[in-house]
Amino acid sequence: MEKKEDYILECEGISKAFGGTQALSNVQLHVRRGEVHALLGENGAGKSTLMKTIIGLYKADAGSITFEGKPYSVKGPVEAIAAGISMIHQELNPEPFLSIAESIFLKRENTVGGVLLNKKEQNRRAAEILNKFDFPYGPKTLMQELTLAQVQMIEIIKAVSCDAHLIIMDEPTSSLDSEETEHLFRTIRELKDKGVAIIYISHRMDEIFEICDRVSVFRDGTFVNSCNLGEVTKDELISMMVGRNVANVFPKTDCEIGETVFKVENLTGNGFENISFEVHKGEILGISGLVGSGRSETMRAIFGLDKIKSGSMYLDGKKITNKSPRAAIKKGICMVNEDRKEYGLCLFRSIRENISLPNLPARQRGLLINQKREKKECGEVAKMLTVKAASIEHDGFSLSGGNQQKVVIAKWFMANPKVLILDEPTRGVDVGAKAEIHSLMCEFAAKGMAVIMISSELPEVMGMSDRILIYHEGKLNGEVLREEIVSGVMGQEKILAKEFGGK
Amino acid sequence: MAVKEEKKVLGVDRDKFRMFMGKYGIGVVLFIMIIVISIMEPAFRSAKNFINVATQVSINGMISYGMCLVITTGGIDLSVGAQLALVSCILGQFITNFGVNPFLACLIALLASTAFGFLNGFFVARFNMFPFVVTLSTQLIIRGLAQVISGGNAIPLTSETFQHIYSSKVGPIPLPIVILFVVTVIVYIMLHWTKFGRYIFAVGGNVHAAIASGVSEFWTKVGAYTISGLLAGIAGIIFTAKTSSAQSNIGIGYETDAVAACVLGGTSFAGGVATIPGVVMGIFIIGFIYNGMNLIGIESYYQSMTKGAVIIGAVLLDMVLNRKKG
Amino acid sequence: MKNMKKGLALLLAGIMVLGMTACGAKEETPAAAPEPAKTEAPAKAETPAPAATDAAAPADSAIPADVNGDGKITIGYISKNLVDPFHAPINAAAQEIFDQMKKDGKIDDWTGILDGETDPNKQIDRADECITKNCDMVIILPAEATASDPAVTKMADAGIHVIVVNSKTDSTDKVAVSYCGSDDVYAGELLAKWVIEQVPDGGKYAHCQGIIGNSAQIQRGEGLANTMKDHPEFESVGDFPCDWAADKAANVATDMMNKYGDDLKAIICDNDDMSSAAQRACNDAGRKDIVCVGVDGNQKPLEMVKAGEMGATVLQDGVGQVKAAVSVIDAIIAGQSFEKENIVPFVLVTKDNVDQYLK
Repeated sequence: MEKKEDYILECEGISKAFGGTQALSNVQLHVRRGEVHALLGENGAGKSTLMKTIIGLYKADAGSITFEGKPYSVKGPVEAIAAGISMIHQELNPEPFLSIAESIFLKRENTVGGVLLNKKEQNRRAAEILNKFDFPYGPKTLMQELTLAQVQMIEIIKAVSCDAHLIIMDEPTSSLDSEETEHLFRTIRELKDKGVAIIYISHRMDEIFEICDRVSVFRDGTFVNSCNLGEVTKDELISMMVGRNVANVFPKTDCEIGETVFKVENLTGNGFENISFEVHKGEILGISGLVGSGRSETMRAIFGLDKIKSGSMYLDGKKITNKSPRAAIKKGICMVNEDRKEYGLCLFRSIRENISLPNLPARQRGLLINQKREKKECGEVAKMLTVKAASIEHDGFSLSGGNQQKVVIAKWFMANPKVLILDEPTRGVDVGAKAEIHSLMCEFAAKGMAVIMISSELPEVMGMSDRILIYHEGKLNGEVLREEIVSGVMGQEKILAKEFGGK
Repeated sequence: MAVKEEKKVLGVDRDKFRMFMGKYGIGVVLFIMIIVISIMEPAFRSAKNFINVATQVSINGMISYGMCLVITTGGIDLSVGAQLALVSCILGQFITNFGVNPFLACLIALLASTAFGFLNGFFVARFNMFPFVVTLSTQLIIRGLAQVISGGNAIPLTSETFQHIYSSKVGPIPLPIVILFVVTVIVYIMLHWTKFGRYIFAVGGNVHAAIASGVSEFWTKVGAYTISGLLAGIAGIIFTAKTSSAQSNIGIGYETDAVAACVLGGTSFAGGVATIPGVVMGIFIIGFIYNGMNLIGIESYYQSMTKGAVIIGAVLLDMVLNRKKG
Repeated sequence: MKNMKKGLALLLAGIMVLGMTACGAKEETPAAAPEPAKTEAPAKAETPAPAATDAAAPADSAIPADVNGDGKITIGYISKNLVDPFHAPINAAAQEIFDQMKKDGKIDDWTGILDGETDPNKQIDRADECITKNCDMVIILPAEATASDPAVTKMADAGIHVIVVNSKTDSTDKVAVSYCGSDDVYAGELLAKWVIEQVPDGGKYAHCQGIIGNSAQIQRGEGLANTMKDHPEFESVGDFPCDWAADKAANVATDMMNKYGDDLKAIICDNDDMSSAAQRACNDAGRKDIVCVGVDGNQKPLEMVKAGEMGATVLQDGVGQVKAAVSVIDAIIAGQSFEKENIVPFVLVTKDNVDQYLK
């Protein structure tokens, strides 16, 4: 009886599916008044989906939510705030030219007669709240003058000023330095004392142990367990997060690994530091790490999409630099980007044109494109990669996500590169296409390409790679060989531990 | 993204219908237009009238091809009207006042307009400025330069050699039509049969994907604007030969008809989609709107409205047929 | 008929808008049916309307009306534009007159007001269309003296009687059957004389020009300069290109007042949109004494003259010009002789006679 009153938020039997993917199935979450409750799980475990369901961005297919003892159902963040739940998103998008006061009172401005803004009153009230938090700037300061941590602070202040009883923080420390983090924790403790409950999503185990009272673990869209943080160890939590059998559904074939094709030394850039590795002919090199750990950033820089601050790259033993993807492609380094929408296809152009785009210079007859040859070769490649379309003259728009991905891979297959980088090659791809893409990777390796694959799915990395590099916060944190995985020396738990910064 | 369900339109597979209409829809509009005007005005049907219209549209045609390339890269070129004035004034100054050989003068004029086209492209591509802003500004600069060159005066062009650029004929066909035809073929080949054309489509369709496929955004955009400048220059030569007078106040608002022809021809303002045959049809639709309505005797006040309605209607049609999904 | 054409215009738009192929064509056919029927008729029987053409011989300068021998009299009308306040009443008058002539059976058809868009290129295109439509006589108000000339010569080459109205093109005297306009040099002289009369002691004056190269601009400036040449007590502070635009003339007025102060006595403008704006700027600056004057006789300047805010304006009778052109057409149809050049005089409008011209 007493326990019932303890909970400020009770989610029961929540399910949510997107198309064919079950993002949440029958999960629960119980948060007590005045506690800091951690949510833990791998990428794609369903944490974000659940939070978005709570603030009304998604509508659950099934289940019920009770907030402060009453049934709770909202249609969007605005209603959620009115009900007393605020969420501070991972990526903050402040309006640079609004003042602090204007930001705090955005969408609930003080008005005279409902039309004109009462700026004076608004600034006065803002100053009052800012004072309460010892915020170092006045209400008229523009948002663009604040640091990221301060912007976050304003978000928190805003949440509190809305009289939020529950604040959801999604990776709040991901862009803060240690001092700012310390400040955030102080604020969290103050809020806790005032009886505000906080749901704290983070990948940083140490932080969770420092600031949180209880934790709920999610895995593959299901709820695993809730427990008090004093009663579990880090390792126990990690095994809760992993906990599945890695069935060997991957078609990895062993092929002969030849000499070193590509090598980087002490590569440093935006989001990664001192990265050194090498990749060989016929090898599939897996790259694992949490989102934002610097894996994609490294590869983008190698491909010439981002700048490299220092370090060097060698292709076939020769030192190279890639100022643009154009230069990289010319040398034989190609990349399938993780952001398929942005970097993948020209959706309104035909499959043929998309496949041949990077391969045109080699397929010219004089000044003109050899259209006959183009048609033939593109058709062959598309067929080989089992792109499902009525004809290669259809535009990219008519294809499913998996088939779009195959077209992107097809254009690089046709380019026949020395090094092929695949960033999340199977994300958002249905099961059948996934398997086909996996077999393709093996074929590429068999042809003598060096394949680098980034994936957030541990089983995929473990199932497909000859060797795995593990990233943690912009640095390499270990290397795992296929033998170690096959022999069971390195399990998923150990790799995940490394991703979380463990040794 | 889930697999699309097949839908039927008029008993035809939706996808095929879309592809067909996307390619030939505007031709249907053109065809109906010709039939309707022919029924209403017999004089319209004469071969002479069709030759007239083709000659008339040669100026807008040149400009439209350049505009089409630029719009396909996701931009716009508002400076083409001013380019006509610049070319005209250069021709007047060199041929009439300096007595330069007309062909050499044409070459100089083309160099100037091409250079300004390059400048447009350079600013757009190098500094990532909005094409609208860049060409709006260069338009003022170019027209100002034309005024400086001509001193604001109208310079009569009495050189017969030069006037022949407009008035001479190849068989029964006036030279401007021949020029238009040759340029059409060249632009068609360039856009549809060369890698530069593909790059234009790619940069306009998805610039990040294009860059990630090794396409140089800079050179593609610069190329498109430069060609637009060159073609506007050719249009300026025809214009000047036609009016046999060089002045700085010509070509005002000519970008509008060019944009209209492109849009009618299925050129997408979002970039990445265009066909030259489509633009050709767009150019002729614009030409027939003027010509047909004048011959029928529709009051000029209503012509403007009709033209606007036709363009909106055609673009609407295009959007319905190529509806963005997903 | 007029309504039907409006309807057709909208229908045409409708077809394109909806892309409704089948039903559009169905609606179109019956509406358009009378047209071809009508065109066949005159081929068989000589129409009564151009009866006068048979007696086309008598007077010396009389010329046949039906130049292309299709048994129909068709009139073309190429305007300078549809938008500026000087040309709007001219176009309206032409519309009324030709609609009436068609109704009366005096002419068989006319093109309607073709829009020249103040663009010589477009005027040449319109000339092509007049030729295609088998026009016998075409009235044209040229946009430019040189650049619009191919429109005139082209039609003349096709045998059409071209009547140039308002301002001449280069070869008007050679190839047009008649010119109906006003003598812009005389207008310039009127401007100068008015200023000399008002400021007997002389002084400095500014000259606001129209678009450089327009024949009206050139000739009015010529008349002005010719007269001022004999009056050394007047000194020009400069010719300012204002493109016929009122706001630019107003800017010149304020700039010159700043620069020359009380020495500035007059601002002479090539049109009275500019002179009225210049006068207003002077009046607002407390310099009612500056004499501003221009040519045209547009509504606003006339009202200013009536209110005593401006001394005078020189009226150009545009409607009179087009009416003169119509009487030339009448004469040709009637087989009578007509003047090769019809000069419609400019009138100096002051407070004394403004009521005559103010509508």
